Amino acid sequence: MANHDLVREGDRPVYSFVVLDGLVGSTKHTGEGKRQITSFFVAGDIPDLHGLHLSVMDCNFTTLTPARIGFMRHDTLRSICDQHPRIATSFWRSTLIDAAIYREWVTNVGRREAYTRMAHILCELIFRLRSVGRIQDHVADLPITQAALGDALGLSTVHVNRMLQELRRSGLIATSGSKVHAMDWAGLTHAGDFDATYLHQRNLADQW
Amino acid sequence: MARFYFDSGERDLTFEDEIGVECAGLGEVRRAGFEGLIDLTRESLKSVDGQQLFVEVRDENGDKIMRLSLLLRVKLLK
Repeated sequence: MANHDLVREGDRPVYSFVVLDGLVGSTKHTGEGKRQITSFFVAGDIPDLHGLHLSVMDCNFTTLTPARIGFMRHDTLRSICDQHPRIATSFWRSTLIDAAIYREWVTNVGRREAYTRMAHILCELIFRLRSVGRIQDHVADLPITQAALGDALGLSTVHVNRMLQELRRSGLIATSGSKVHAMDWAGLTHAGDFDATYLHQRNLADQW
Repeated sequence: MARFYFDSGERDLTFEDEIGVECAGLGEVRRAGFEGLIDLTRESLKSVDGQQLFVEVRDENGDKIMRLSLLLRVKLLK
């Protein structure tokens, strides 16, 4: 189900989890209780892999849509890494890409205007879902709430609506229920100031 | 919970909200409208004396139920 905390700040997990289906967010709360979603995770991602080396969790991981999750024991992961250096390397690479995504999000939320910010996050989601084979074209099923989008973008729900409608009016996206269709991918990436380099998806960027 | 529509704009130009926001009561409507007005102000306020920005809320029947607005005044004092 959506809005289910998988790991909470302060936890000392002995497992890491992998997203099998759905969308998960890493979240932090301010002292006033305002939520910031700091990153999205899609199928195939291991959002709390850093928990393998950092014992106390410094953020929450919450489902943003109904999701299917698999758990992997840390001691098992450690022995896999000891026996298979290439797997250890790809885990390391995965956490480095997570850090790159966080850097991009700081830039997005801190410096881009709301319209660009919204276009950027849609581009990222569509690109990542397509990279893991969850969508074949530029149509993504994103059953996340406007409030969650607002928490990811640092925008009010009312402004989220305004930006979604502006993107629709510009002919860049069409929405139907929870489906978002990038009608003009080149236009949307331009509007979103989106360059997929930070996602480090080998050889995939050429196929777009 | 009911759905409310937060139209926004500047003077006579209104941007109609076609999506709406679920709110539980007028307190939540006011908070959502206020936060929307802050974002609108951050993006649209220019240094123009007399500029007005607003958020106007409709209920599901289309009745206007609340208006939040800002007026910028710039005055030379010397």
